[in-house]
Amino acid sequence: MEVPISTAELLTTDGVPLKQSLKKAERKNKIRAFLLVFPLLLFIIVTFVMPIGDMLLRSVDDTQINTVFPNTFSEFKKWDKEKDELPPEEVYKALFEELAYGDKIQVGRALTRMNYSKSGWKSLIKNTSRAIKKAVKKNEFPDSYKDFLISANDKWADPTFWYAMGQMVNYQTPIYYYNAIDMTYDQNQNVIRQEENRRVYVQTWIKTLKVSVYVTFFCLVLGFPVAHLLANLPLRYSNLLMIFVLLPFWTSLLVRTTAWIVMLQQQGVINGILVWLGILNDDGRLSMVYNETGTLIAMTQILLPFMILPLYSVMRVIPKSHMRAAQNLGAKPATAFWKVYLPQTIPGMSAGGLLVFVLAIGYFITPELVGGKDGKLIGSWIAYHLKTTLNWGLCAALGAILLGVMLVFYWLYNKIVGIDNIKLG
Amino acid sequence: MSKLLKVFLIASFAVASFSAKAVTVASWGGAYTESQQKAYADTYTDPSSIQFENYNGGLGEVRAQVESGSVTWDLVDALPGDAITGCDEGLFEDITTEIAELSTPGPDGESMLEDMENNGLEYHSGWDCCVPQIFWTYVVFYDPDAFPGDKPSSMADFFDVEKFPGKRGIHTWATGIVEKAMVADGVKPSAVPTVLRDQTGALDRAFAKLDTIKDHIVFWSSGAKPLELVKSGEVVMSIAYNGRVGAANLAEGENFEYIWEGQVLDQEYLCLVAGAPNRDAAIDFMMHASTPEAQAEQAKYITYGPMRASGIPIIQAGEPWGPGGVDIMPHMPNTPERLKVSIVSDPQWWSDNGAEINERYSAWMGN
Repeated sequence: MEVPISTAELLTTDGVPLKQSLKKAERKNKIRAFLLVFPLLLFIIVTFVMPIGDMLLRSVDDTQINTVFPNTFSEFKKWDKEKDELPPEEVYKALFEELAYGDKIQVGRALTRMNYSKSGWKSLIKNTSRAIKKAVKKNEFPDSYKDFLISANDKWADPTFWYAMGQMVNYQTPIYYYNAIDMTYDQNQNVIRQEENRRVYVQTWIKTLKVSVYVTFFCLVLGFPVAHLLANLPLRYSNLLMIFVLLPFWTSLLVRTTAWIVMLQQQGVINGILVWLGILNDDGRLSMVYNETGTLIAMTQILLPFMILPLYSVMRVIPKSHMRAAQNLGAKPATAFWKVYLPQTIPGMSAGGLLVFVLAIGYFITPELVGGKDGKLIGSWIAYHLKTTLNWGLCAALGAILLGVMLVFYWLYNKIVGIDNIKLG
Repeated sequence: MSKLLKVFLIASFAVASFSAKAVTVASWGGAYTESQQKAYADTYTDPSSIQFENYNGGLGEVRAQVESGSVTWDLVDALPGDAITGCDEGLFEDITTEIAELSTPGPDGESMLEDMENNGLEYHSGWDCCVPQIFWTYVVFYDPDAFPGDKPSSMADFFDVEKFPGKRGIHTWATGIVEKAMVADGVKPSAVPTVLRDQTGALDRAFAKLDTIKDHIVFWSSGAKPLELVKSGEVVMSIAYNGRVGAANLAEGENFEYIWEGQVLDQEYLCLVAGAPNRDAAIDFMMHASTPEAQAEQAKYITYGPMRASGIPIIQAGEPWGPGGVDIMPHMPNTPERLKVSIVSDPQWWSDNGAEINERYSAWMGN
């Protein structure tokens, strides 16, 4: 007997093909799901993607100054530095005109930018502007603009200022990235190292990475036993101990930092006790704060909960029977720990490690307070340029490099441990 | 809607519309802002229309507000370098005409700007957008008990770790220190700005002098720190903001001594943010806060000196001017004889060279 196979489409009760109806319902669900996440998506775009995009753009952008001195820069590009020591008359003329008729505020903004390429631009342009405006007011236009500018300020006869101008003549520039690693341009736009006494960023990068790696390591070494203890004690004890972990976590950062200063300084609690016990003599007090030691101690303590909590939540769910089973099968305790227990904690270690490392690499308040002369990490420089010099291009470049370093570590981490292995609980 | 919620809503609207009218002044907080509140706001015709907000200095936030077009601050209490840059960049509004027309002249009819020049100041572009506040200084101080015998009295002593052993407290940025190092190296205080500006190699000289005490320095970065350092004995003497030391002496019964030689006077301004929501009210308050009387009044609450020369005689005539019937002039940084051994920091030079010198200073600290 043959079962007749209907070739007609299946229809719903209202006569629409089932496939279509299903599709419609699915699309509805998709839209609903999208609408549900839409506010969050929008939030992320506005508060995360756009600022980071803006930051990356700023790190290479040199538009503002190019809109202020377009003629000067285009004449400047024609200057043959081999042939003439100073730029040709046309450059001086264009500069004269652009300073005479330029918008005061736009010129002011350009000044801040120019001063990054060489100290002294600010007052040079300001003084010159004043002289130029005076001349224009009296309708006195010089025969030689070159002579006029040089007589207004003899720095216009100093080729190093003109060489510095070469750093700014393009709308996009990699100079901020070079500056962020102690490089700069020479007169022919070749990349060279910064003057020796100004090389400060590379050493700060190294210091920042070193501190972050050390702090992560110390947090792991100190946090692991604590988390293990917390996970294996009966609940009523472990809850009490948990409070000791969480209480400092909830305490203000500044309070904890200051407390460390009180503990560690040369006239502080620890030194006092050691001297009182006769372990140290009064002249031999240890200097444990206002140096790198202080930074490491304070940062480790402050970031420790970020290591302990993920570790704890992972360890808590590792069945105790695993260790017993391993020992039953003949493993020594150390082997059982190494081969059975430790591998199962890797998700917790990696989550904690990544958290602590990410937080540490951008830290700057604590190191500034306890670090003394070694306390300036890269975050401090970003804050300094953001607030004081207004060199936002350099800020952006430093930030972008920081982001890049993070991504490299993330990539490495993914290669070695695998990102799926991360576990917060 | 519950009744409570309604009341709450109405109240919050009332607060919002009220605060929208108030002139917002961004300042440094702490005892300094308190003294501004008492000297400027409380003596103003409508004290409740002035609201202070704390900020940490620098132009970052101002630039962010102006660039994004959502300006919430009317006035900013700014350092001279920031006043210059802010005015050049148009972050602060140029109110040259308002200042000329509305500011209170000195007792002899001198204009406000002339009054400032009488105090040893030179015009810079910050004067176009800002009105003067006070002189504050980087001064060295110590606890006399730490020195049973000879007491240090000069910059040379501060840099002499053999004669006066012990650590020194110094801040983590270059302003003020470079000048002091020059004085310790034998430059006459009043000549320091010129030497730094005009002599090649002057900076190398300052850094070479700093090298001599490098291993004896504890670096600090927040204003309260130097007092803790000296009190706890961590350092034997330290550079500090003189107002902090004055407050410790006057209010906390400390007995710190100053080394006035080589103190570096720096200026402080009140600047009008471009696009300030309450521009006219803010200008009116600026004019009030820059009268000689208001500036002298501030000395009652903090030991920072008026930037207008005519403020000083008001204090001298009013002694005891300080809290609890204390003479305040002995604590003031800009008395005539102290000015003779002081350096007036050159904001234009710092605004040209500050970034580079600070990089160099940091490189020096780190090595």
